[in-house]
Amino acid sequence: MTIFPNRRDFVLHGGSGFGALALGDLLTAESRGAEKRSRNPLAPRPPHFPGTAKNVIFLFMQGGPSHLETFDHKPALRKYDGQLLPESLRDFDLAQINTADAKVMAPQFSFRKYGDSGQEISSLFPRLSEHADRLTIIRSMYHDLFIHGSAMILMHSGTRLLGHPSVGAWVTYGLGCESDNLPSYIAMTDSVFRNGASMYTSGFLPAVYQGTAMRAEGVPIQNLQRDADLTGGEQRLLLDQINAWNRNHRETRPADSRLDARISNYELAFRMQTAAPELIDLSGETQATRELYGVDDGPSAQFGKMCLMSRRMVERGVRYVQLISSDWDAHGDCKGNHEVQARKIDQPIAGLITDLKQRGLLDSTLLVWIGEFGRTPIRQGSNGRDHHPYGFSAWMAGGGISGGTTIGSTDDFGFNAVEDKVHVNDLHATMLGLLGIDHAELSYYFEGRDHRLTDVGGMNNLAARLVRS
Amino acid sequence: MWKHILFIWVAVSCLLPVAADEDTGEFMWSLRTPMHVEPPALTSLQHSARVHNPIDQFVLRRMEDAGLEPAPEAERLTLIRRAYFDLLGLPPTPEQVDLFLTDKSEDAWPRLIDSLLASQHYGERWGRHWLDVARYADSGGYETDIYYRNAWRYRDYVVNSFNNDKPFDIFVQEQIAGDELWPDNLDLDPRQVYIVSKEKQRHLEARIGTGFYALGPRIHESALDAKRLAYETLTDWADTTASAFMGLTLACARCHDHKFDPFTQHDYFSLQAIFADARELELPLWNSMGEADWRQNYPRVVAVQEAREACRLFDAEMQGNPLSPEQQARKQQLLAAIGQAVLNLPTATAGQETIPYDGLMHIPTASVLGREHPALIKPVHLLDRGELHKPQDHAQAALPASLAAATKTSLELPAPYGARKQFALWLTGKDHPLTGRVIVNRIWHWHFGRGIVETPNDFGNMGQSPSHPDLLDWLTTEFVRDGWKVKNLHRLIMNSSVYRQSSQFGPERNLAVDFDNRLLWRMNRRRIEAESLWDNVHSSAGTINLAMGGSPVVPPLAADEIASLRDKWHWVVSADPAQHTRRGIYILVRRNFKFPMFEVFDTPVTSQSCPVRDVTTVAPQALWGLNNRSVFRQAMHMAGRVIKEAGDDRTAQIVRAWRIALGRPPSDEELMSANKLLDDLEQSSPTPLKELPDSLKSAPPARAQALSKLCLALFNLSEFAFID
Repeated sequence: MTIFPNRRDFVLHGGSGFGALALGDLLTAESRGAEKRSRNPLAPRPPHFPGTAKNVIFLFMQGGPSHLETFDHKPALRKYDGQLLPESLRDFDLAQINTADAKVMAPQFSFRKYGDSGQEISSLFPRLSEHADRLTIIRSMYHDLFIHGSAMILMHSGTRLLGHPSVGAWVTYGLGCESDNLPSYIAMTDSVFRNGASMYTSGFLPAVYQGTAMRAEGVPIQNLQRDADLTGGEQRLLLDQINAWNRNHRETRPADSRLDARISNYELAFRMQTAAPELIDLSGETQATRELYGVDDGPSAQFGKMCLMSRRMVERGVRYVQLISSDWDAHGDCKGNHEVQARKIDQPIAGLITDLKQRGLLDSTLLVWIGEFGRTPIRQGSNGRDHHPYGFSAWMAGGGISGGTTIGSTDDFGFNAVEDKVHVNDLHATMLGLLGIDHAELSYYFEGRDHRLTDVGGMNNLAARLVRS
Repeated sequence: MWKHILFIWVAVSCLLPVAADEDTGEFMWSLRTPMHVEPPALTSLQHSARVHNPIDQFVLRRMEDAGLEPAPEAERLTLIRRAYFDLLGLPPTPEQVDLFLTDKSEDAWPRLIDSLLASQHYGERWGRHWLDVARYADSGGYETDIYYRNAWRYRDYVVNSFNNDKPFDIFVQEQIAGDELWPDNLDLDPRQVYIVSKEKQRHLEARIGTGFYALGPRIHESALDAKRLAYETLTDWADTTASAFMGLTLACARCHDHKFDPFTQHDYFSLQAIFADARELELPLWNSMGEADWRQNYPRVVAVQEAREACRLFDAEMQGNPLSPEQQARKQQLLAAIGQAVLNLPTATAGQETIPYDGLMHIPTASVLGREHPALIKPVHLLDRGELHKPQDHAQAALPASLAAATKTSLELPAPYGARKQFALWLTGKDHPLTGRVIVNRIWHWHFGRGIVETPNDFGNMGQSPSHPDLLDWLTTEFVRDGWKVKNLHRLIMNSSVYRQSSQFGPERNLAVDFDNRLLWRMNRRRIEAESLWDNVHSSAGTINLAMGGSPVVPPLAADEIASLRDKWHWVVSADPAQHTRRGIYILVRRNFKFPMFEVFDTPVTSQSCPVRDVTTVAPQALWGLNNRSVFRQAMHMAGRVIKEAGDDRTAQIVRAWRIALGRPPSDEELMSANKLLDDLEQSSPTPLKELPDSLKSAPPARAQALSKLCLALFNLSEFAFID
């Protein structure tokens, strides 16, 4: 895409993509323009080092799926079912219940070992389990925010405060955009975005790096559909005339690349009117593919479509795809909730892995599955679990990682991450690392200092350990 | 070699955050008192004939030293559009353009500026600039995005302050400590005072300024994490105070001593401690009520607050311990008392008893700062790495040590109470090195699209240094000496020849030496902001509703625009269609859901003070202009207006359309191509337009639709969105 921000802002912020400007550049403001003049902020840029992944599909389970019902088997919870937590775990803050008096609740599903690697996965995900040898399961995720709002912001931007760029924006800032007709960063949800645009915001980065919220039904992008009072021919007629007048306007105004960018954006907008609907149009997909994703099966239909579309996005050069499955917030009935939720995503995600694999895209496409936190080992109400950020699970697949492995663990109660702890910043550092970006180098100067996605964290960067040797 | 030395010097000076150079005893530039510098002598300037006022002398000096040629003065047509968009954010009408173009008198330009500064719409334009700095929004953000029903009173306070040319020092004082500086506004209880004097009313209005603190981002997910909520509120208050008024980014000192500027973590938490004795409260607004309502409402609203406070005091006393049965009963009593106080609120106005109203929702109040009950003031602690669970020493309210030294003031502040007052007075002292410079630089930035300091919220070592330090100091000292009058500063800037330069100028040499135009050898071309673009479309269409003030308005959205909103009741469309075409500043600002057109055109992130708006050029902007139904509707309105004003003659219609949208008649070539376009569109003649406005109903259908589409094309021109 040929999109320029205000060139001055771009120069001011050091649009070179990586790191701060060399100090020498800061010396003479007058000299800075020349060097940066020709750069397009979305032009593809080489990574810091060769990464194994080129694209990311971030599968976000909004509401917080229980690690204890999915990827972290804790037999001790069966043994202590109905009893208080050990003394050492009774002084932690939670959102709605009290560690001091709530009782342990046994896992609601059975677990089995799958594949050659023997990864333990619950009965909730029969399809996904078939890919056990491709998954790297992290059982030691942790942070300390037990409220959805701030935890989701942390998960998407590496900090709990509003106003920071989301991971996809950082990735686009670092690597640029490879599609001529589509945005580099697309977000989709099966519901609506809780926290609004802060889920895909560019924060303090220039707005060109903002994610585009795309819808799976109807008009995929805002204002994409031509007004009913305008025929296709008329729109083309208008566009040609607008461009002609804008070019005349441009000719008498030297050295202003924004005016060029504006003209090319009108053509890009015109192309997007075709490219975006084509992207979400699944009519060209075979029946076998549709079945693979569960597109025609009631519970999995919606997320299935989103997963299938995300494969189409990756094929068309979209760098970062963010899919949100909502409603995992199982305060009342963990078993019932998770059964329903798992049916929505199991077939689609398993199908996505299979499909990417058979098209040769899995090795370059990193899949990450995670919620904003896990759920408490202790019972809420009759059969529910409260928010739990101190230890929970995530998994990764594809993108050149070896799979069939497990990282870290929680204590016997699944309460605290204890071994090989992975903070959200570490997870982000790992994702960037697999894309060939050094998380400590990807920075942006704003409000008095250089900011990073990983803030001061990211020390436990797993990338090197995960890559297939 | 020279470059290397310079490099090392910069590297070293960045690494050592010192307030004062140890050798010379000099403070970092922004902490030194601004000096009244004599402008460069006229005789020393090659282009002395271009000098209108001292600004030109400073700017020409640097320009000539760099061997740059200044741009010629812009055409008058360009100038009037520049002035209108700059001061009002609105386009001039064709008649206003004619008036100016035919006014051959010497002082036509200064008189134009005076008339624009006298317009009520000036405050809307410049107030909006300040709202960026104040991180203004009508809701709290995060997951619940709770609605702030009174934020707009602060917005209107800002608009009025600019319109009334309130001295900027007073403006700052009111926002930080309006309650403590004019404490008689606390004394409004009709049981104690019989009449509220005019002066007291003014002081009450001034206190709405402290709403600055009541509208920040806030997690309102019940009281789940009260400690963190309190900490993050203080963080917002301290950070925004430093950015907005002092032009300093102290946020990094929350976690560690500032790496580049002379501020320690201790300074940072002392700044937070200034606000420790303050709380937000709802102030019943005498001014917005009749006297009868005041007598009826005020004591009862205060009673609600007192009942709530009693409950908070009780909770504080219990410190979260389990309650005994007696204490349980006491708590129940206190809660019941709140309920009773709420029920006692009037359900009809005393003035007009026929109007039913819900006392809780409709009694006019403003969200302001007041004093926290002494028993409820929580100590502020220095936090290791800024982390809440690692409290260290108790922090006392104090000025940052390096600034206290630079201003030769004691850093101690009174506590509890009075710290904000003292802080505000210190900040607005006439020799304060930051406050004057920072606002003068902001105003320059808003006029030229770039400040003399390019980082208006960062006057520290990591910010940009001023491109014209002498000019900044000269302007600052003039501004302060003149009584902090913003309108006079506008006059000074806009009457300079620097401001009046053409933007259509670009000799090779200038571009080679100073591509970025840091030395101001031409005017910067600017894309108008989201609100101005909105206003421009509706002004051109003739539909703009210029009513001022009041609750935020909520225009309707298309299905694809509203789709991503979680809680549809967060966007309840204003019932009265006349509200849908109000000026952009009045549109609801939700932290979690920006008005979609505003989002595409870069309105600021409202999570923190925004010094400089992004100006992006992206494809969704083109999609909005081409496809958004509301834009098409406005194009039809504009076509109706064109026919009404120009009659049936097609050439006259084209000329009129050009003059409305662009302020100028079309060129011969444009006239020809517009005619051709209308021909083609009239012949294509599809189904008749839907939702035809009344003004188009009598026009021939083919002409109505062709002309509407021509108007749509005009809305999409670069010339419509950029000001030369």
